[in-house]
Amino acid sequence: MFQLILDRNGTVNSNWIKRLSDGASIPFDFNNTDYQQFKKDIQNGVVLNDASGNPITGSDLTTFIGTLP
Amino acid sequence: MSQTGYSKVQIYSSSTATNTPSASNLTNDTNGSELAINITDGKLFYKDNGGTVQVIASKASNIGNFSNTINVPNTFGFKNRIINGQMSIDQRASGASFTPSTTTAYGTCDRWAIAVSQNSKLTAQQTPSATETNYAGRVVAGFQNYLAITSSSAYSISSSDNFNIQQWIEGFNAADLQWGTSSAQTITLSFWVYSSLTGTFGGALQNYSSNRSYPFSYSIPVASTWTQISIVITGDTTGTWGKTNSGGIGVIFGLGVGSTYSGSAGAWAGSNYSSATGATSVVGTNGATFYLTGVQFEKGTQATSFDYRPYGTELALCQRYYTRILYPTFAGCDVANLQAYATSGVFGKVVDLPVQMRAIPTCGYSSLAHFAPSSANSATQSVFTAISLTNSTPNQIGIGAASGSSGLVAGNASVLVTASTSAWFDASVEL
Repeated sequence: MFQLILDRNGTVNSNWIKRLSDGASIPFDFNNTDYQQFKKDIQNGVVLNDASGNPITGSDLTTFIGTLP
Repeated sequence: MSQTGYSKVQIYSSSTATNTPSASNLTNDTNGSELAINITDGKLFYKDNGGTVQVIASKASNIGNFSNTINVPNTFGFKNRIINGQMSIDQRASGASFTPSTTTAYGTCDRWAIAVSQNSKLTAQQTPSATETNYAGRVVAGFQNYLAITSSSAYSISSSDNFNIQQWIEGFNAADLQWGTSSAQTITLSFWVYSSLTGTFGGALQNYSSNRSYPFSYSIPVASTWTQISIVITGDTTGTWGKTNSGGIGVIFGLGVGSTYSGSAGAWAGSNYSSATGATSVVGTNGATFYLTGVQFEKGTQATSFDYRPYGTELALCQRYYTRILYPTFAGCDVANLQAYATSGVFGKVVDLPVQMRAIPTCGYSSLAHFAPSSANSATQSVFTAISLTNSTPNQIGIGAASGSSGLVAGNASVLVTASTSAWFDASVEL
């Protein structure tokens, strides 16, 4: 499972994602294999939460995936 | 002194130091040429086709002098493209056993990934420790460590199963081999293996897109005995091979590979192969062992002596892909000077990484309970409930946001301290 990250100013970080299994922060960098795996995982149904911990589903998830580099 | 069955042949000889035969004293003819020896200087002479007297051999000296360039099959610098081939560095587990549970996992010797298609079929471990019984009998050829695989069951692999040990050589470190071109260089892969099983084992080289593979096979003829293997592989003249900071060449050792990922040994193929057809399955026998060390991947057609590098150099090479920053000395160790942005959170750089990493790393920490901020009066506050390491780059780990503590004053400095001797931060950007 993954979760969006809130920056200290309260906005959602658009360059990193949190992996909930170990708390690691993963950058949106195509050369990072954890990021490549994250993209595969959420396209294969692994849960992605918003910054409040609620699952992102349906068109919201599709839209989010479309914004990924 | 005469020797039965041999006839004596004499050559010109001198015992005068520095005495050299003149050109007129030596013949050089296809029907027979003369040699001369200076037994004081320890030099043997002949006259070449141009009529010049040349030294053809001289006695051994501790000093080698060369007037021209030296051209040998292997380069002297970074001869071995494999990093941690002697399995001496294990930042993640420090020798503890590791059970891989994801498709491709790093959890034992640095730079070596264990790929499994089924969970709980094997364990991996850097071993032995110098304190173990029969330590000297378990290592080989000066290597102090090896990567040990132990099968956890008698699992019959299916066609799509794939268990293997692998290391990806970064493209920057393989670009000079010119694979994917007509100038592709030949390489030699050598390694030491030990197994409780005997038979034909397999592995493969592969490009990062997994659409070019070279399966290889080798024999372990005697069980529980170290065997050195050397395999010469002609470079691939086709396909796409990474030449920058992404994957270059994958070196794979099969531990149980189904038919989908197995191919004919000894030839390049446009397929995703991890091993050779018919290779022994280590995971097929409960308790079976497979040990690996001294892995060397070098340019040329001969396996040469292992490229021992200083420990600090080998560690630095590993840290381009994974770094663990430890704070083992005492709890309460000052980690970083940060700034509070709220009563509950801090931000700022935690640590400069010892080596610039391959790309922006994934960053993690041992446990939220292992770190706590202090407030202006030096009182240590409650631990965080969340830390986001979004201030990280290939050169540093940094906290972008943290929450859940209390008693901090926005705008004030806050020192992050450890609450455990097991505390660590890490940065990972493996291939």
